[in-house]
Amino acid sequence: MTPSESAQLKNRIRRLRFEHGEMTQQELADRVGAARQTIIALEAGKYAPSLLLAFRLARVFGVKTEDVFQWEGE
Amino acid sequence: MKDSIPLAPLQRLAWFNLIVFAVAGALYLMAIPFFEWRLHMTLARAALPSLGVFGVCGLWGLGNYFLYDRKRRAKVKLDEREELIYQRAGMIGVVLFWEVFVALCMGVWAYLSYIRHQATVPVGFLPFLVMLGFIVFMVTQSIAILVQYKRSAGDDTL
Repeated sequence: MTPSESAQLKNRIRRLRFEHGEMTQQELADRVGAARQTIIALEAGKYAPSLLLAFRLARVFGVKTEDVFQWEGE
Repeated sequence: MKDSIPLAPLQRLAWFNLIVFAVAGALYLMAIPFFEWRLHMTLARAALPSLGVFGVCGLWGLGNYFLYDRKRRAKVKLDEREELIYQRAGMIGVVLFWEVFVALCMGVWAYLSYIRHQATVPVGFLPFLVMLGFIVFMVTQSIAILVQYKRSAGDDTL
């Protein structure tokens, strides 16, 4: 996925973290088995995760994957 | 609220590699005048045996320690994004290594054959070229790792 395509992938991770007891990036990273830097890159829209990581993130927040990620491409 | 982000294992590995290289480079610059004084050589002649201090780069082998989880042996501490960073950095390192290695191999051969009219390339050049190529690979890979982390860093607020 190119950087421009990656930018079209929006996510609500930051909002969901705050809605879930102001979860820190490190806590989320630990729960999904990723590095904190990866959570930072995801929130900044600079990294498009694998399906597996996307499902893990959704499961941590107890929502569907599409509630976490939205693709705004054509 | 801003807080400092601890370095990821891959970043630690990259910094370790660059520090080892910097130490080797500094030792090399100190070794040349030392050999000149101790062995009564010219600076230019002392530059060759001084290359031996780049043996310090053998410490690079220990750098992989940063990638393994101490508690759970043999478990690599890289997530999917970091594996991509590692792969890309390795690819960039190989490309530059190959360019430098091939260019130097052919350059040395051309220089000795056509300019110095020497029929053969001294065997001592081989380990030198291999070592130089490997140093180019490791340094390029380490810089590429740090650049990729820097590029993908976003807002680090909690």
